[in-house]
Amino acid sequence: MPGIGIPSLEASLPPIVKRNYGKWTSHEHIRPGVIKHDAESGEACYTVRAAMPPNARVSTPTMRLLCDLADDFSEGFFRVTQRNSIEFVGVPVGRIEELIASLAGHGFPVGGTNRSLHNMTCCTGYMHCHLAATDPAAIVKAVSEMLSKEYETDCLPAKLKISGSGCINNCGEGSCADIGIVGVHRDLPPINAEKLKGCELPLVISVCPVGAIRPKGPGMVEIDPKKCIHCPACSVACAAFAPIGSANGDGVAIVVGGKSGNTGDGPALAKMVVPYLPNNPPYWPEVTETVRKIVDAWVANAHRDERVGEWINRIGWEKFFRRTGLPMSFKLVDGYDARSLEYARTNVRFRW
Amino acid sequence: MEKIKLSCAKCGFVIEEYTAEELATVPRKAKRYQYLKNKSSICPSCLASGRLQDVRVNEEGGPAVAAGAAAPASSTAAPVGHEEHAESPTPMMDAISQGRFPSHATELKKTKYPVQMYEQALQQRRTQWGYGGYVSLPGVASGVLVRASARPEITKGSNFVRIMDPCGNFFSTASMRGLCDIADKYAYGLLHLLSTGGDLELLGIPTENLKPAVEEITSLGFDIGSTGDDYRTSEECIGPAKCDLTLYDTLGLRAAWYKRFLDDVQYPRFPHKIKCKFAGCPNDCVRGCQKADIFLCGVYRDAPKVDQQKVAKWVEAGGDITTVCSRCPGQAMQWEAGKGLRVDEDSCMHCMYCSNKVPGVRPGGDRGVAVLVGGKLRGKFGPMLSRVLVPFIKAEGPDYKEVFDCIEKFTEVYDANARKKERVGDFILRIGIDEFYKLAGVEPSPQLLKQPRTNFFCHWEPAEVKDERRH
Repeated sequence: MPGIGIPSLEASLPPIVKRNYGKWTSHEHIRPGVIKHDAESGEACYTVRAAMPPNARVSTPTMRLLCDLADDFSEGFFRVTQRNSIEFVGVPVGRIEELIASLAGHGFPVGGTNRSLHNMTCCTGYMHCHLAATDPAAIVKAVSEMLSKEYETDCLPAKLKISGSGCINNCGEGSCADIGIVGVHRDLPPINAEKLKGCELPLVISVCPVGAIRPKGPGMVEIDPKKCIHCPACSVACAAFAPIGSANGDGVAIVVGGKSGNTGDGPALAKMVVPYLPNNPPYWPEVTETVRKIVDAWVANAHRDERVGEWINRIGWEKFFRRTGLPMSFKLVDGYDARSLEYARTNVRFRW
Repeated sequence: MEKIKLSCAKCGFVIEEYTAEELATVPRKAKRYQYLKNKSSICPSCLASGRLQDVRVNEEGGPAVAAGAAAPASSTAAPVGHEEHAESPTPMMDAISQGRFPSHATELKKTKYPVQMYEQALQQRRTQWGYGGYVSLPGVASGVLVRASARPEITKGSNFVRIMDPCGNFFSTASMRGLCDIADKYAYGLLHLLSTGGDLELLGIPTENLKPAVEEITSLGFDIGSTGDDYRTSEECIGPAKCDLTLYDTLGLRAAWYKRFLDDVQYPRFPHKIKCKFAGCPNDCVRGCQKADIFLCGVYRDAPKVDQQKVAKWVEAGGDITTVCSRCPGQAMQWEAGKGLRVDEDSCMHCMYCSNKVPGVRPGGDRGVAVLVGGKLRGKFGPMLSRVLVPFIKAEGPDYKEVFDCIEKFTEVYDANARKKERVGDFILRIGIDEFYKLAGVEPSPQLLKQPRTNFFCHWEPAEVKDERRH
């Protein structure tokens, strides 16, 4: 029964890590997907990083196969990275090429380190979620295919992280990434009177950020369509407001310029540049095309070590929209609370 | 032995259980007992809200069945089974399976996952899953969820279990094979290896199999938790296990965190979920400043250490020192051939950029942890970055008492003042940052500020003014 906590440090770490724990001195990138760490003892640790299926959904046969590879190449241990790649840590230097070939043979391309496209993360989407406005897993797969050269070579100005979220709950971290693909709803939530009896009305009314839900007679509420901003806050709090979503209402918004590191211009959340693109499975051509435009403009114009957000900070939003050719609209500014004036310019330092 | 059980007054679900001895001798447990008893809670089983019931049972000998928790009638837990679904064509999934990159569609087809749920969603451009909720399981307050189905003819719904990831997300093949066996035996045979919250999820466990599945998971050495309004699974960066830049032992701190706060991970009691993330340095590989309600970031206070010889060697070998100097955000670095690299301590903002790029530049030695709070990606007012609460604390193992006391003090403030379902960031926004600093009891320091205010509307207490006309 629960209550035992996480497995101990001793049991989880591979031998090469245990030997050099906290005693690493430097690291370098040998080739895309391979990193070398040097320890004080003089020991070198080679790590091979490979892409995994979107959302790290792995069937047990595939997992057993990866376990066999880990047994063979990295002393029976592997790790899953924050960006859902799989890492084989402590691969003998002479066997790196063999492992890369073996992974490629099983359909796991190696790459995603240094100045390349890092493996894309996403949330579960249509696979297992009731709120999903789009299927980020399929989008991520399509974008990965389009940017496979960028994944496997160090050809970009800086690292590029692209993430997809199925809805604005952002489990897939769209707002954290250089380019975020976030599902958006545009329909009004339904109100199921029967299910509403199981919810606390004060909570239902107070979760709405814009006060669009208000009481309507005893035990009933109504939604003001003029105020609703289609955040599914009410659908999360109460089953009466589910299901939301419709084939033509749902779609995808694109945000750019998020990063968490303190280097460059520091941590930033991504900003919206496209408010809506339609869902068009299985390959979402409108989305991949937009991502392509942004990536191409960034690669062509950014300085070395300049992430997407820092590039935009340098050239300004005027040049960003011109270089990418994306249309501008007032949907990109937000007027719903006291911070709304932050979106408006207070100087005349225009770039024409 | 007398046992005191706090249970739901409506369905009898046991939330917490103590022995009489524990309550008399362990102040922490006694405090928690008082706290839970006096507070209105939501039952994770029947979702009823109200005061908890205090049941005292005298249990002799072996563990008896918890009173009331035997079979709480659950309305949310759908009877989940692996329904047979017809072998229908899946053109959309076949299209997604194409290409060089691994595909989730291929993986789904190798398992017992009802593929028509996904296929139909892609065809109809709309998710086929329905509203979910918690699943009640005696003795398990957190860690099992159910997702209902909007297409009962394909599948009736699906339970899933959240397993907390091991240190550094390292898995031994032995333990992973064990998880695969459990997934095959009880679930769809599909692993969600790393959710973005840092858990491993097993999908599709029928309700009657939940108990044996959870028991097998725990006997394998993994634990479940992290659903509901509790501490969610904490995430750490790879830290000393494989990184040369880390400023404290992130893996050790996370292990100590679980030792101290495991109860709060497995028993929901906060106004809303709290996500903790631990980054070893300001590079923030866990994206804590964007995602975490409580973010511990390794920081250092002195100048970076420069090994001039190593730097010169790196430059000779083709290292691009000019770019590094020009991209330094504080413009603190100057390189002159022959004279070496000079770092201006006044301009340095300890961002790690030079250490990332130049092998001879290492972080300084005066190291500690900064505590930031309030980051989130949604909540009532959308995405927010976290704000500095305490700029520097020494992180000293093995129990990291000073750091965790700071966290605990903060969560008490949050718990006492936030509204229900209000994330930390929204709470701070609602009460105002000045009021929040006051409540949190932190010392004013310039490290907390982006900039001082531009208006003059300060609030003064009568005691501060000492003017008779104020009264």
